[in-house]
Amino acid sequence: MYGWIWRRLPGNAWVRALISLVLVLAIVYALFQYVFPWAEPLLPFNDVTVDNGMAVSR
Amino acid sequence: MARNDGDAPDRPASARGRIAATVGVIGELLITAGVLMALFVVYSLWWTNVLADREAKRQSGQVRENWAQKGPGALDTKDGIGFLHVPAMRNGEVLVKGGTGSDILNEGVAGFYRTPVKAAMPWDKQGNFTLAAHRDGHGARFHNIDKIKTGDAVVFETRDVWYVYKVYAELKQTSKYNVDVIDQVPKESGKTKPGRYLTLTTCTPVYTSDYRYIVWAELERTEQVDSARTEPKELR
Repeated sequence: MYGWIWRRLPGNAWVRALISLVLVLAIVYALFQYVFPWAEPLLPFNDVTVDNGMAVSR
Repeated sequence: MARNDGDAPDRPASARGRIAATVGVIGELLITAGVLMALFVVYSLWWTNVLADREAKRQSGQVRENWAQKGPGALDTKDGIGFLHVPAMRNGEVLVKGGTGSDILNEGVAGFYRTPVKAAMPWDKQGNFTLAAHRDGHGARFHNIDKIKTGDAVVFETRDVWYVYKVYAELKQTSKYNVDVIDQVPKESGKTKPGRYLTLTTCTPVYTSDYRYIVWAELERTEQVDSARTEPKELR
């Protein structure tokens, strides 16, 4: 998978390494900015109040 | 660079090569999943704190500025009603705002309950001032809640008054559905008569949300804020 991407990048090894780095940074940015903030409320790690679920059961 | 992984398009891959390629892709997907989870931990425990600290600092500064500018008058409860100081948690001051939704708490502040039981305000004649904040991430304002012991001071600061509370009970683990703990007279803490109480709630154990950790305090005295905003002796 990653080998396939690598072979499709243009330029020599250095250029490819640079493009790879930019791609990785872009993905990490997208994750921190959009994906994780969206996913966080769906995961049960950070609920702190005692009213959770009450709205549903009432 | 790796030319020998069997997925070159120009020749039909042998069965062996196909299996090797499939295993390789599965392996890469597993590694990717691991990296994603590690990144999520970094996000949860570090990046959300960075964002929340920045936001809380900005809003706290605004509230302080408002207090300094306005003369005596009605209390402005829109931005934030005051600051919570818990010396035992050793985390300085925590801005308190209305509401306990994640949109509020993720700003690195503590929120007072509006549902399912509406919190009383510290200046009310009687009632329970109930607060929630994050244990981890998003500022982690109540991270050290387990360091609070009976007899410790909890001070709430408004523009004009210091409300000095004393902790009288802790509940180290309770169900997240246990709404009774934020009752106006919290019977679970052993109280039967109306009074001026304060309740802190957050999740426990650390890094999870399986249960809730509760700390109850009762108002001991109030102090008028002087012009130099001299802190009550509990904070010095």
